[in-house]
Amino acid sequence: MEQSEYKIEISLENKPAARDPVAETIKRDLLAKKGYDQVSKVRSGQYLRLILLADSEEHAKEIVTKMCNDLRIFNPVTQNLNIISVKKI
Amino acid sequence: MTKVSLNGEEVGVEMTKDEFEKIKELLDRDPTITELGGFEVMWSEHCSYKSSRPKLKLFEDAEVNYDYVLAGPGEDAGVIDIGDGYALAFRIESHNHPSAIEPYHGAATGIGGIIRDVLCMGVRPIALLDPLRFGRLAGNSHSKWLFKYVVKGIADYGNCTGIPTIGGEVEFDDSFENNCLVNVACIGLGTIEDFKRAPSRAYNPGDYIILMGGSTGRDGIHGVTFASRTLTEMSEADRPAVQIGDPFSKKMIIEATLEAVKTGFVRGLKDLGGGGLTCATSELTGDGNTGAKIELRKVFTAEPGMTSYEIMLSESQERMAFIVKPEGLENVLNVFRKYEVAHAVIGKTDDSKVLKVFDGEELVVNLPARALSESPIFKRQEKRPEYLDLLLTQPTPEPTISFKEIIEKLIASENICSKEWIYRQYDHEVGVRSVVKCGDGDSGVLRIIGTDKFLAASVGVNSKHCYLDPYQGAKGGLVEVCGNVIANGAKPMAMVNCCNFGNPEIPESFWYFSKAVEGMNDFCRTLRIPIVGGNVSFYNEDEATKTAIKATPQIMIVGIINGVKNIITLPFKESGNDILIVGETEAELGGSEYHSVIHGLEGGIPPKIDEEKIQARWNLLFELYQKKLIKANHVVKKGGFIISVAEMCFKNKLGVDMDLTGYNINKLRDDELLFSETVGRFIIETNSKDYDKILGLAEKFKVAVKKIGVLTSKPEINIKGLNQDVKLNINKMKEFYDSTIPDLMEI
Amino acid sequence: MTIKIAVIQFPGANCDLDAVHVLKNVVGVDTSLVWHNDFKESNFDGVILPGGFSFGDYLRAGIIAAHSPALDEARIMLKDGRPILGICNGFQILIEAEFLPGALLQNESLKFVCKWVNIKVINNRTAFTHRMKKDDVLAIPIAHGEGRYYTDNLKELEENDQIVFKYSTEDGSFNSEANPTGTLENIAGICNIEQTCLGLMPHPERASESILSPKQTTDGRIIFESMIEFIKRRLT
Repeated sequence: MEQSEYKIEISLENKPAARDPVAETIKRDLLAKKGYDQVSKVRSGQYLRLILLADSEEHAKEIVTKMCNDLRIFNPVTQNLNIISVKKI
Repeated sequence: MTKVSLNGEEVGVEMTKDEFEKIKELLDRDPTITELGGFEVMWSEHCSYKSSRPKLKLFEDAEVNYDYVLAGPGEDAGVIDIGDGYALAFRIESHNHPSAIEPYHGAATGIGGIIRDVLCMGVRPIALLDPLRFGRLAGNSHSKWLFKYVVKGIADYGNCTGIPTIGGEVEFDDSFENNCLVNVACIGLGTIEDFKRAPSRAYNPGDYIILMGGSTGRDGIHGVTFASRTLTEMSEADRPAVQIGDPFSKKMIIEATLEAVKTGFVRGLKDLGGGGLTCATSELTGDGNTGAKIELRKVFTAEPGMTSYEIMLSESQERMAFIVKPEGLENVLNVFRKYEVAHAVIGKTDDSKVLKVFDGEELVVNLPARALSESPIFKRQEKRPEYLDLLLTQPTPEPTISFKEIIEKLIASENICSKEWIYRQYDHEVGVRSVVKCGDGDSGVLRIIGTDKFLAASVGVNSKHCYLDPYQGAKGGLVEVCGNVIANGAKPMAMVNCCNFGNPEIPESFWYFSKAVEGMNDFCRTLRIPIVGGNVSFYNEDEATKTAIKATPQIMIVGIINGVKNIITLPFKESGNDILIVGETEAELGGSEYHSVIHGLEGGIPPKIDEEKIQARWNLLFELYQKKLIKANHVVKKGGFIISVAEMCFKNKLGVDMDLTGYNINKLRDDELLFSETVGRFIIETNSKDYDKILGLAEKFKVAVKKIGVLTSKPEINIKGLNQDVKLNINKMKEFYDSTIPDLMEI
Repeated sequence: MTIKIAVIQFPGANCDLDAVHVLKNVVGVDTSLVWHNDFKESNFDGVILPGGFSFGDYLRAGIIAAHSPALDEARIMLKDGRPILGICNGFQILIEAEFLPGALLQNESLKFVCKWVNIKVINNRTAFTHRMKKDDVLAIPIAHGEGRYYTDNLKELEENDQIVFKYSTEDGSFNSEANPTGTLENIAGICNIEQTCLGLMPHPERASESILSPKQTTDGRIIFESMIEFIKRRLT
C-alpha cells in the first residue's frame, strides 16, 4: 500500500461532564467583563499537530488514536481525545 | 451490589438487603429514587463509619476534662484554645482511593476537601501537612508516577490557595504499591471571638439556606443502577472518574466565607464533600434538630437538564452551604457578590425535623432529618493474624558488611533519605508565619502574629512497626509525633488521627484497626492528650492479591511554644559541645529499616512503649528547656540513633567524636545497639559545663541520659566503643542522603 | 504628612496580607488592602501588586488580572511617577499589562521552587533601591513556577539601566548554580526607564523580619524603606 504524508490536528480536552476551571475563568473573568459577553461557551485544552505516514485518512486517525491511548498522551481519567482535522499533504 | 424491588421495579444498590429493609421500616414506605441514592451514599462505610463506630466509642469524651478543648470529635474539626485570645482548628482526612486512580487530581481535591472542613469552623486555614505512602520507588515506574503526581497535586493546589505546607511524612513499602495512601491535614487560626461566633449547625427554624461556590455538575455520581430515565443519557466516557479541583475558586470561597462569617449573620456552615447536597443538608438539620424545605430548581447547575437525583448526589467540588439569619441575608449576599462567587438561596429551615426536597412541584425527598445519619452499625469480627507469631520471632542475621557500609546504605535508603525533592515544590513560607522551616526541625513551627506564641505541628506513624504490633505501633506513633513537637520546644496539646486499614469485613484486617484504636486510646488517656478528631479509611486492600496495606494509623499532634527564645531546632550548633542521648536502647529491630534494607526482612520484635518512662523523659526535657540547657534536639527514628546524629551534623557540617563505651547496659549486639528503632529517644546537644547539672536532673527524673560524644569541626563521625571502630565522612553521607530521590525521579 | 500605600487585592492574590503586615507593622506606614475593583489612585502615594495566583494563573500567570480596572488606575500613577512595586505574581501582572517589558516563562525545571536565594543590586538609582549600594547582595526567598525572565531586547534594557537585581552567589558572583530558574542573565528584577516601577520575582515581604530569615537578616525591608523615602522626597 502506497503511504502518504498526513497532517492531523488533535486537542486534549477535559471530559464534557468534567469541570474546566481555566475555561470557566476566562469566560467569566475576562471575556464577559471586557465586552465579549456574546461568547456563551469556552472549553480549553492542549493542541497538537502531527505529520505522519499512513495508508489513508482513516489509517492516520487510527495510528494517532492508538498512540495517544498507549502512551497516555491524554489523561484517560479526566480527558478525551478530540480529532480536529486530518488531511493528506 | 444487591438487587431490590423499588416501587415495582428491580434495581441494584450498594447495600445489604437488611439495610434496605431498615430504610423501608424507617420511612414506612419504599424510598424514592433520590432518597435511596442518598441512603446509599450516607450509609456507605466512608460516610457512616458503620464498621468503625463501635470501636471508636473508646475515644468518647477523650476530650472532656480539658478546659482548652473547644470542639471535639463529631465537629468538622477539632478546636483548641491556645491562649492570648486565639484558637486553632485542625483536622486530618484521607483521599486514598481517588489518588490511586488519578494521583494529581485525587491529591489536589483531597487538599481542597480538608481546607473546606477547617473553613467550616469559621477560621482561616494557615497550614497543611501531608503524610503519604507509596510502593518502593526503585525500579517501579508505577510508584514513581503516583509519587510524582501526588506531590505535584498537593503542591499546585496548596500553592495556589496560598496555604503553606509545613510538614509531612512519607514511607515507601511494597504493601502500598497498589494502594497508595494520601492523607491530608489542615490547621486553621482564628480568635476565640471568631470561634464563639462560629457557625455550627442549623439549629434555628426560619433561617435561609444558601448554596455557594462551584456549580453543581454531574461529577462523582456513584453507584445506584437504575433505568436510564434516572441518569441522563451520558456514557462513562464522558464522565470523569475523579473530580477536578479548582484552587482559584477555593481561594475566593475562603475569602468570601471568612468575610461572611465576620458579619455575624451566619448561623450554620457545612462544606459539600462526599454525599454532596444530601449529606450537607441532612447533617445541618439532623444535628441541629430542625427540618428544611429545599427547592432544587434554585440550585445553579453546570449543565441544563440535571435530574433531582443528580443534583442531590453530585460531588462537584468547591461548594459550601450557609445557614443565614433572615435579617442578615443581604449582608451575606453582598459579600458573595463582592468576591463574585456564585450563590443561590435554595431553601429555608423550619421546625418540622423533616428534610423536604422539591423538584418544582414534585416532592423527591421527604425524610426525617436524622434518618440519613442513622445507619446501622456492624459489629465486625477480629482475629489476630496467624502469620504474626513466626514473623515476630524472625532473628537478625549477623551483618556481613562493615558498619560504615551499612550506615551509608541506610542514610541513602528511600525511607531515610532527604525529602527535600518534595518540599521544595511546596511554598512553605507564604503567610509569613514559618519560623522553623522544612529541614530545620522535626516539626513545622509557625508564629502566631500578635502574640509571643508559636504552634508546632507534625504528622506520622511507622507502618512497619504497626504491621508487627498495631497496639504498640499506634502508641509508638504517638510517642514519635509528640516527640517531634517536643524536640522543637513545644508542649503537645491535642491529637487527631487518620486510620488507614484494609477490609473490615476480614477479621484479620479489622483486628489491626481494633488494636490500633486501643493503643491510641490507652496512650492518650495516660499521657493526657485530648483526642479531638479522627478519620477512618477502610478497604485499602489489593483486590487481586488480597493483601492489605500495612496498618497505618496516622497521628497528628499540634503543640504550643511560649516565647521565641524557647524554640529549639535540629542542627548541631557548636563544635566542642556535648552530645547526649536521652532514653535507653532495647533490642527492638522488628520492622526496622536495618532489617528491610540490609537483610530483606520484615519481622522481629518491634518497639514497645512504657508510658511512665516516656512521661519522665518529656518532663526532664521541659525542665532542661526551662533552664536553657539544650542547644539542639532531634527525635531518634528510622535507622536508629546514628542516623539521627548524622542528620544533625549536615547543616553546619560539624562532626562527632563518639564513644559508646558504657552505653550498652542491656548488652545488645553492636548492630542492635546502633540500628534499633526503640521509640521515645532524643539526641540533644548541650554545653559541657552543664554536664553535671544535667546528669543530676536526669537522676532526679529517673531518666537514662548518657553522653555519647563531643562535637568537632572536622566533618567526620568517629565511633569508638564497639567491636569495630567506625569512621564516617559527613560530606559523603550528605551526598548519599541528598541524591537518592532526585536520582530516582530523573524520569 | 501621612503617606498612604495601597496593596491591591486581586482575586487569588495570597501574599497581600503578608505585604500589608510588613508595611504596617514592620516599616510603619499607613497601608490599605484594597479590593481590585475598588482601587482609586487618587487616594494613594504608592502601590504594591502582591504575590499569589491571581485568577489561578489560568491561561497565563497575570494575564487576566492585567485587564482589571485597577491597572487602569495604576497606569495614571505610572505616568506621574508614583512608585509601583510588583512582587512575584505582581511582576507577572505588570509584564502582561505592559508596564514593564519582556516575558516571564515557566522555570526550566518545570517545577515550582521555594527557597532562599541571593540577589545582587545592579541598579541602585530606582525608587526601591536608592538606599542600597551597587553590588550589595541581599538574602530573599523565591517561591514560584513561572519566573524565568525573557526578552528580545536585552541590549536596550542594559542601556537604559533597567536591570535592577540578578541572582548571584553569596559573594556576588554569577553562575548557573546561582540561577534558580534558568532566567536570562540571572535577571531577578527589572524596572521601567523612569526608574519608578519595579518588578521582582523574590519576596521582600518574607525577608523583612529576622525571625523568618535563615541568617536573621532583614534585607527585604530596605526595598520598602526606599519606597517610602522616595515618596517623602517627592512630596517635599
